[in-house]
Amino acid sequence: MYGTQSQRDLSLELPISRQSIHARRAKITVKFQDLYGFTVEGNVDDANILNEVREKVRQQGRAWWALEASKGANWYLQTHVSSALKSSLKFTNLVNAITLKKLIRKGIPPVLRPKVWFSLSGAAKKKSTVPDSYYNDLIIAVEGKVTPATKQIDHDLPRTFPGHPWLDTPEGHASLRRVLVAYSFRDSDVGYCQGLNYVAALLLLVMKTEEDAFWMLAVLLENVLVNDCYSNNLSGCHVEQRVFKDLLKKKCPSIYAHLEALEFDVSLVATEWFLCLFSKSLPSETTLRVWDVLFYEGAKVLFNVALAIFKMKEEELLMTQYVGDVINVIQNTTHHLFDPDDLLTVAFDKIGFMTSTNISKERKKQEPAVMAELDQRLRRLNSSNMDANSGLT
Amino acid sequence: MIKLPSRNGHMNRPLPFSQRKKTGTKRRERSLLFVVFLHFCATFFSISTNCKLVTSLKPTDDLLNMATTGHNNLNAKLVLLGDMGAGKSSLVLRFVKGQFLEFQESTIGAAFFSQTLAVNDATVKFEIWDTAGQERYHSLAPMYYRGAAAAIIVYDITSTDSFTRAKKWVQELQKQGNPNMVMALAGNKADLEEKRNVMAEEARVYAEENGLFFMETSAKTATNVNDIFYEIAKRLPRAQPTQNPSGMVLVDRPTQGARAATCCS
Repeated sequence: MYGTQSQRDLSLELPISRQSIHARRAKITVKFQDLYGFTVEGNVDDANILNEVREKVRQQGRAWWALEASKGANWYLQTHVSSALKSSLKFTNLVNAITLKKLIRKGIPPVLRPKVWFSLSGAAKKKSTVPDSYYNDLIIAVEGKVTPATKQIDHDLPRTFPGHPWLDTPEGHASLRRVLVAYSFRDSDVGYCQGLNYVAALLLLVMKTEEDAFWMLAVLLENVLVNDCYSNNLSGCHVEQRVFKDLLKKKCPSIYAHLEALEFDVSLVATEWFLCLFSKSLPSETTLRVWDVLFYEGAKVLFNVALAIFKMKEEELLMTQYVGDVINVIQNTTHHLFDPDDLLTVAFDKIGFMTSTNISKERKKQEPAVMAELDQRLRRLNSSNMDANSGLT
Repeated sequence: MIKLPSRNGHMNRPLPFSQRKKTGTKRRERSLLFVVFLHFCATFFSISTNCKLVTSLKPTDDLLNMATTGHNNLNAKLVLLGDMGAGKSSLVLRFVKGQFLEFQESTIGAAFFSQTLAVNDATVKFEIWDTAGQERYHSLAPMYYRGAAAAIIVYDITSTDSFTRAKKWVQELQKQGNPNMVMALAGNKADLEEKRNVMAEEARVYAEENGLFFMETSAKTATNVNDIFYEIAKRLPRAQPTQNPSGMVLVDRPTQGARAATCCS
């Protein structure tokens, strides 16, 4: 009874199926659609949680409207904690900045997301530095061009959230293709990296227009995330993984020690999180709540969230005896995190304080080691090629 | 639809967080500033206070990643490597769930599966790492093949490029992988005979020269999919002399030097 009710209640304009999250779910009782139209398969509890989340989203919407009414529309566009502190120390600005930070951690209402993300992430600023026709000109200029990147993009289009009623249509494929292809020409060092397909797809669903999704992708790769996360040998991603391991050691020492004993490398699960920004692992609203904070507070948020996933399941993780068990615990957790607050409360209240400055320092520390490792590997591989060639002749 | 906070008539004043408190805005601002100050103090004292390490846990033999033996049970880490779109995930999905999807989600990083096979009177539990195929993900691969007991190198019989990539993977594993690793070469998409670009004979010869065993597979029609995993299970060395010196499982056939075997069906 509850199941059918929630089914009706939860269906919005965009229906979708999300294989990656729910394919592995053993006991399927109900199917329903989440806020962004992804078809979710779960039990009745999950459906109830999603209903509660919908109600919370509505309340959060009311809070935003109320603030808009009291502070004026777009009040949040001029505030930023650091700039407010640096510049005038004006109380109102500061209060606004703090209010905004708290508010964003509680979630941006889906209707406001396109506008708020676009301004607070810096995408609007980035766009304003080029002529208005930039995106359209780029699309026209690259039309019909074939590069290794475009071939790979074409290959991945039907493999990006397959079954999604909009993304997995000719129209959806064409939109996603234009965004990814345009970006591959904007930054040829990145070109196309698998993982960006999921990120761009979710950006399209939120931002509604291709052009805004394109600029969000640009600001994400060029300003929000660490450099070289997606380019050539993913060196940025390697750096992030090392930083993450160190943080886990500091923040969750017993989990770290246990996993170490199992010879479980946390990158085995965390690499996908950092490259897809959780879009392939967490339910859609939870992913977008992470992105709300990501676009405002920066890439350190990914560490908070990744640490929180481990922290939440500390007891269970400490009882695991095999690598497979660890992965099952983690996947079961991420796939059923339908209530974003469960995750974000741990991420921001229980992990302890981390600043972007500290994280940057940690990255700087890891960079040489990563470069040396990648370099050494490349050299070894080349020498192995030479050996093999000389062996054949 | 939008409820305005009309209760107190201070609509144009900043009302942080909620409308519950209507007075003392200045005091509130001051206290908030204090909170911010504390916030920043905390930055300087940073995170370094809690880095104690729990050292009581030690790895035991049966937790090691290599093919490990229990009583007639074997845990074996298996990794799938190969070009993007060769069908690695499809092979795993077919083997683990008996399903096939025309469009399989692209794998990022790697995906993990496990499946147990009964071989003669023993069981082999495969812990399968299905890796991402795009070239730049190559740098992540060692994490997945480190300590693997077996590898399936997959190419697409309709793509010569994917066969070239497969050979590179073989070289890399020979150079850097576990020397006792059982390696299989899978020419996938065998159902697409009319689009074939890699001759079976060429792959067979290559496999023989390099000590792999070779099969053409089709995840779509399920041809040879279970067989390739079954063949690997049979070839896994039952003894791991360096790590498991005692308590070996009785094996009903002698371990064939994995590298020398070149059986094909």
